Amino acid sequence: MRRYELLKSITPLLTDEEFVICNLGFPSQELYSLRDSDNHFYMLGSMGLSSSIGLGLSMEIDNTVIAIDGDGSVLMNLGTLSTIALEDCKNFILFIVDNGSYGSTGDQPTHTAKGTSLAAIAKAAGIDSSVEVAGADAADKLAQCMKTPGPHVIVAKVEPGSQAMNPIPLTSLAIRDRFREAVKAAQAKT
Amino acid sequence: MSATDVNQALLRDLKANGADFFVSVPCKLLGGFISTLEQDNEITYRAVNREEEGLGICTGAWLAGRKPVIVMQNTGVGTLITSLCSLGLYYRLPFLMVISHRGSPGEPIGAQVPMGTAVETLLQTINIPTYMFSDPSDTKKVGQLVPFTDVAEGPVAAILDYDFWGAR
Ligand SMILES: [Mg+2]
Repeated sequence: MRRYELLKSITPLLTDEEFVICNLGFPSQELYSLRDSDNHFYMLGSMGLSSSIGLGLSMEIDNTVIAIDGDGSVLMNLGTLSTIALEDCKNFILFIVDNGSYGSTGDQPTHTAKGTSLAAIAKAAGIDSSVEVAGADAADKLAQCMKTPGPHVIVAKVEPGSQAMNPIPLTSLAIRDRFREAVKAAQAKT
Repeated sequence: MSATDVNQALLRDLKANGADFFVSVPCKLLGGFISTLEQDNEITYRAVNREEEGLGICTGAWLAGRKPVIVMQNTGVGTLITSLCSLGLYYRLPFLMVISHRGSPGEPIGAQVPMGTAVETLLQTINIPTYMFSDPSDTKKVGQLVPFTDVAEGPVAAILDYDFWGAR
């Protein structure tokens, strides 16, 4: 199972009640092709910040926020795990696709391929609900986390590799504005 | 005007102009201002580990309708440049950065001077509107930069030096 098949396994869980921050170009293209929504913020640059954007959003809304992140990206912004722990947002899920590689740059191995456990780091940072699961079990785990108070960190282990995709045919401002409107509509409901 | 008065006036003028969500990475010059932020119940304030993380958290908050300000030392601009470009400028995120100016006159530590000298040029190189303030009576002008971020449709920087706090 690669990231594409993993994302395919979790998209049936998504409704327009959740807000998703998605990390970088390839994962965002894969998610876009599987399921697009105004509730998806495709963060196409700023590697490492999907988790922090998700955190900032979850502080402000009641809906579930899922930040889809990568192993290489989380390794670039480990400090935010401690902030996620301190903030203790019940509606926040950090879903880490751990393929042990920098998928956007040619699948060079990351340190998680050589023994670093992001789930253990997240737990040590203070996020009690931090688990590593096989990619095939990640959808069940995510479904369970969506029903229980977080914050949750799910580290889904998969094989390296990306699905060939076209760029997302949306401008940065279109991604931004439709997402912001969707958040505003959700806030108006609560 | 005492440094405490400056910090209270600065927060008052930022709030009066719509700022309601603050993150900070500490600086000696900002110590008093950070205490002022911590004691204010009307705003959201969080300490963060690094400026990029703060930019990310502010992005999430802005997407939910808040008006964020990033409070940081000028040295943090160095690590923030990439995210300012690929997040702040690419998505045109209207945040104010309130940046203390270490390495400018009044600075006792030589290691601060190279970045203190480079910071304005670095921000101008990536086309961030950048304004320098040296006068304690300028808190109102700094506050007015909050709505100016919407006019500019992107990040704006206010750099406050030792004289702004009467610190030399
Ligand atoms: Mg990876």
